[in-house]
Amino acid sequence: MNALDTKLLRDLWRLRGQVLAIAVVLAAATAIFVLSAGTHASLALTRDVYYARNGFADVFAELTRAPADITERAAAIPGVAKVEGGIRQLATLDMPGRHEPMRAIVISVPEYRPRQINRITLLQGRMPSPDAAGEIVADEAFAEANALRPGDTIDAVIYGKRQTLQIVGIGLAPDHIFSIAPGELVPDNRRFGVLWMGERALAAATDRVDAINTLVVLLEPDAVSGEVIRQLDRLLEPYGGTGAYAREDQISHALLDSELSQLDALTRVIPPVFLVVATFLVLFVLGRLIRTERAQIGLMKAFGYSNAAIGWHYGKFALVIAILASVLGCAAGVWMGRAMTELYAQYYRFPSLEYRLDPGVFLIAVGMAVGAAMLGALLGVRSAVSITPAEALAPPPPPIYRDGPFERLAVRAGLSPAGLMIIRHIARWPGRAVLTAGGVALSLGLLFATLQFHDSSRFMIQTFFLRAQAQDLTVTFTQPRNERALHELEQLPGVFRVEPVRAVPVRLSFANRSERGVIESVSDASQLSARIDRNGAKLAVPPRGLMLSRQLADQLGVSSGAEIEVRLLDGERTSTVHRVASVVDEVIGARAYAAEDTLLAITRDALPASGALLRIDPALRDDIIDRLGAMPGVLGVSERSAAFALFEDMIDDNLYTMLFVFVAFASAIVVGVVYNSARILFSERAHELATLQVLGYHRSEVAAILVGELALLVVLAIPLGCVVGVGLGQLMTAMFSSDLFRIPFAPARSTYGVSIIVVLVAAAATCALVARRVLALDLVRVLKARE
Amino acid sequence: MAGPPATPTAAPAFRALGLSKVYRTGETEVHALRGVDLDIAAGEVLVLLGPSGSGKSTLLNIMGGLDRPSSGQLFFGDEELTGLDDGGLTRFRRAHVGFIFQFYNLVPSLTAEENVRLVTDIAERPLEPMAALELVGLAKRAAHYPAQLSGGEQQRVAVARAIAKQPEVLLCDEPTGALDSATGIRVLEALVRINRERGTTLVIITHNSAIAGIADRVLHFLDGRIARIEHNASPIDPAGIVW
Repeated sequence: MNALDTKLLRDLWRLRGQVLAIAVVLAAATAIFVLSAGTHASLALTRDVYYARNGFADVFAELTRAPADITERAAAIPGVAKVEGGIRQLATLDMPGRHEPMRAIVISVPEYRPRQINRITLLQGRMPSPDAAGEIVADEAFAEANALRPGDTIDAVIYGKRQTLQIVGIGLAPDHIFSIAPGELVPDNRRFGVLWMGERALAAATDRVDAINTLVVLLEPDAVSGEVIRQLDRLLEPYGGTGAYAREDQISHALLDSELSQLDALTRVIPPVFLVVATFLVLFVLGRLIRTERAQIGLMKAFGYSNAAIGWHYGKFALVIAILASVLGCAAGVWMGRAMTELYAQYYRFPSLEYRLDPGVFLIAVGMAVGAAMLGALLGVRSAVSITPAEALAPPPPPIYRDGPFERLAVRAGLSPAGLMIIRHIARWPGRAVLTAGGVALSLGLLFATLQFHDSSRFMIQTFFLRAQAQDLTVTFTQPRNERALHELEQLPGVFRVEPVRAVPVRLSFANRSERGVIESVSDASQLSARIDRNGAKLAVPPRGLMLSRQLADQLGVSSGAEIEVRLLDGERTSTVHRVASVVDEVIGARAYAAEDTLLAITRDALPASGALLRIDPALRDDIIDRLGAMPGVLGVSERSAAFALFEDMIDDNLYTMLFVFVAFASAIVVGVVYNSARILFSERAHELATLQVLGYHRSEVAAILVGELALLVVLAIPLGCVVGVGLGQLMTAMFSSDLFRIPFAPARSTYGVSIIVVLVAAAATCALVARRVLALDLVRVLKARE
Repeated sequence: MAGPPATPTAAPAFRALGLSKVYRTGETEVHALRGVDLDIAAGEVLVLLGPSGSGKSTLLNIMGGLDRPSSGQLFFGDEELTGLDDGGLTRFRRAHVGFIFQFYNLVPSLTAEENVRLVTDIAERPLEPMAALELVGLAKRAAHYPAQLSGGEQQRVAVARAIAKQPEVLLCDEPTGALDSATGIRVLEALVRINRERGTTLVIITHNSAIAGIADRVLHFLDGRIARIEHNASPIDPAGIVW
């Protein structure tokens, strides 16, 4: 080993505390990147493989009833590769001892050949046999949540007829990675399931022999889904088609997609913050190291070492840190990625979900770490090699202090000499102070931005479930019903209030964009529902025209005042043009609303209720649910409190792991920044600190000067960090918002407090560590050395 | 017992009994002091002479409470310094001792006046910082930072800082070592003036034997012992020194 490399090793060992502190910050960035990019890549790949292997449909269509051979006409549409028709029917389930609304979607499977599209992966048991009427395959999530096994039976009401179903198999399908009941927002595997039943048996049960009510399509590789959808809509219109839609609008796919884009957002926002801090730290520590080595650099240059050789010597110092960080970060990222993937596995139903180690991810991660460290080194070395050997060999000139505005202010404020030392030192090296305060502020911001995520998500669901809704139960009818049905509900003992839900399926079009959805009727007189914007304010319903959620307005590219085409997707299928009266910021989804009068103008007809909202006596809940389940016109019942609890659980489960990771990482930055600042401060001021002790200052008083400077910078960093946190938090909530949710930025006040406390504790612990060195200062030796 | 015992002329400020100091560096032991006995009278001017490593600085550091002897006892008045812990030594320095070093040890981020205030802020009966600077003839430079002062001026600020708390003892380690002779003499004049006007005990370490002329007694150090003591019946004025 040559002498320079020996020196390098000894320098690394001497500065091991600082080396480790930088490496930890850099490793945190690497780990987060490997974690999120790795998890994202694994999930995306697993999904794509699953979709391809099981033939996940490209286009979906639902209709009232069509002859089974309509599939042949659909297959003739240019761009269509494969078509399959089938039956989908919602059913209510009745399980002994369960007083809760349970539903399932029953889907037909061909008995004599495997499905070509949305193929089922059988995990246990077998497919239904052609001649046994009540055999079903249950989806894994539902079976697990209800402890169902092949051989178990379930009572169901399908199409108004009670039937006993026997589970013969447990399976999965790509169109139900998430299964969500119609009208619900979160998967509830206990109360909603997917059941696959033999085609003939389901046709018989639903009175649809040789008829279908659903179509799924696989497209040719280069086909455009929009054109196929248009032709399919034309084909299916006479059969009660409610508008075909592409994968993007398929609920299971959309949910998975929103989770994946959240992970992607995480990859893009968080690691850069860590990298910026780490780069500065490297710059900071190397800059300091190089300043203390002026004479040695002068000597090396005098001996004939080139600038490049000297630069490379310090570059290697940074490289060692980067490699250490890469190893630590990749290992931690893989470890956390596995844990995270396992967590996701509880939600996503893939036949196999494996954590994949994509070499590209590691390459980028190591590249980022090395890049950040080398940039830091480059900037530090540049100043060192620019001085002449003679200059470098001479002792550095003493620092010159001059009174600027800050210093004069401090003098006028009558600060003690110790206070003046702190202020002047900060003012003399403002860049360094900015770096320390900036690093602490960034980590505080990062911490706050992640912690507030929990608040904002809770605010979102509280707005949605507690403010926007006041009903206890939501009843869905098998088909739109008139006032008599509502009256029947009112008659049930324990029902206090009934309000109709009126929603009309439509396709909204503006210019060349169109979206399918429903227009919901809203009324200011409603006691059970209200429209609440994402700041928590109640929205007034416009008397005329449509009220669109921001999400939907953005998708259509319209703003308030625009005239949009509204085409009914059932009944008369008429088209009318309506004005967008207002665009509102809601927390959930793409939605359209109108007052009843406007809705009547759209339907040109009476406005039947598709369901009802109920407020009930909680004491009679079980009884009411049982009675509702027995009513033939009732397709399903959902409970607000259950949905709310489920949503909360989902947010907690998903976020807590992440939050723990971020609290740990943000603390790592604080420790890294403060530790390095303190060490540098300490080594530069050891002489002054010793002098003070000789003059009769107690060690604690001397330590207070050292800690005081850091404390001042940390305190200055706190408001700055809050500003950074608010900005970063807004960016993150915006990036995490999907087609399904718009997360408002609504941090709790306590979150500011918690973030600040975490930062202060980390900073204080680090300061204490360095202050101990003041206590161990060897006065005689320090003072004998020339300044 | 090494070296002849010193004879006090008044109430002793310091009394050292058998002070020894052994430094261990790795495998080797360095005997910096080998059983020094010494009485120093209050108000006395003492000059310590001797080659490097003869034990002068070690004795000065122990007297100032910056270091502890390996064995032996040291009294300041009635108080045994060798029995004090860290906090006790700090309180001793704070109350009684002023230090002056070869390289000034001023705080660069504080002006001359503020450097003095560092001490007056924690002393019990200090001079006004400006009065202390006046004593060394630097009142006009009070608002200057160390980097704006010459070496001699910096050392005189150090003197002002040391005397501002009105210590009983001034310990000076090579106070003129980094100065030219004219500047050095001005610093010595300031020190002697303090001694005469306020009765401050003055202990000066130097390599420069010309300075010995201002002392009441001169202690010659060799190999950790006091080899010889010179009594000066009539000390001369610093102005009369030539080197």
